[in-house]
Amino acid sequence: MLKFSSKLKVGIIIIFLIVLLLVLNLTNFFKEIKNFFYLISSPFQKTLLTVGESTSDFLSGILEISTFKQQINNLYLKNQELTGEIVALKELKKENEALREALKIGLEKDFQLEAVNLVSKDISQDVILIDKGENDGISKGMPVITPQKVLLGTISEVYKNFSNVTLITNEKSSFDAKIVDKEIYGVAKGKGDLKLSLEFLPKDKTISSGDLIETSALGGVYPKGLLVGEIKEVKKSDVEPFQTAEISSAFSLKKLDILFVIKSF
Amino acid sequence: MLKKIIFFIFLFYILILLQTSFLIPLSISGIVPNLVLIVVILVNLFNRTSEISGLIVALIGGLYLDIFSMSFFGFFGFYTLISLIISLFLKFILKNYVKIPSLEKF
Repeated sequence: MLKFSSKLKVGIIIIFLIVLLLVLNLTNFFKEIKNFFYLISSPFQKTLLTVGESTSDFLSGILEISTFKQQINNLYLKNQELTGEIVALKELKKENEALREALKIGLEKDFQLEAVNLVSKDISQDVILIDKGENDGISKGMPVITPQKVLLGTISEVYKNFSNVTLITNEKSSFDAKIVDKEIYGVAKGKGDLKLSLEFLPKDKTISSGDLIETSALGGVYPKGLLVGEIKEVKKSDVEPFQTAEISSAFSLKKLDILFVIKSF
Repeated sequence: MLKKIIFFIFLFYILILLQTSFLIPLSISGIVPNLVLIVVILVNLFNRTSEISGLIVALIGGLYLDIFSMSFFGFFGFYTLISLIISLFLKFILKNYVKIPSLEKF
């Protein structure tokens, strides 16, 4: 009898807890709690993040010392290639400016940006926490980019001083994307665990690995011309009406520090 | 009992700080170990099935996980329920299907 009553007690407590959670979820109570906890722990998290980064750099330096030489060689070659390209592009820029002046078209105005810091990464992956929120004029749905103009994700939840960013690799995320220099449009879908794929590509178009992908203005979710990633592998099957491609995203979570929220575009 | 609870509140806070900041750059192909959940499972494995402290530890750990994660479907309490279910499940298994005679003496 005593055993039964203690079991009953535990059951009642758990049911009470579930009801309490459900009711409190309807209010703003948990948002305040989260904001409070983020406020007191963000200084620790930032220091720990930098410590972790330096540890990771140290460890990877030891592990990858043999491949460094080859990598440096490759980078040197790539650098030379890009320098050549820059010279050519500078000429084009001059020409472009002259033509714009002749046609009297102003340059497109830049985005209104807000610089933010990465505080922590969510445990459930593909979501990060940044250190500005409602008080700084950030609202749901704003795109987030890195200083290199690489698309990172959108604001998905706003607290008073913090906000959550759902990365483009999250399973909930999907948006219109375009292959750079080719008029091929597709839908970029997050696959979780920092993986991304480009779907609904027409079958008759040729796509090769190494092609760059940028956002298109089609969905209206993101401004156009932001870098998304690079095609890693193309999957083509006779059964399916479209071809899909795996994308390796252009950002690396290990190297994120300062980010920008696009307030208007 | 109260001492135990305070100890776990501090321990879980340190673990959650580690797994949301320090371990991110050290992660291998984006996988970060969920230290809090591991401790919850260990505590419940080595706890006597009649004791309630395993459930309390699961509750504290679950609440921390909820605070420091983006809630699933906008529902706060997802991790709390998960860790409580894990705790109850382990207790059920240990009680009905596992017998360790040497441990019962202690």
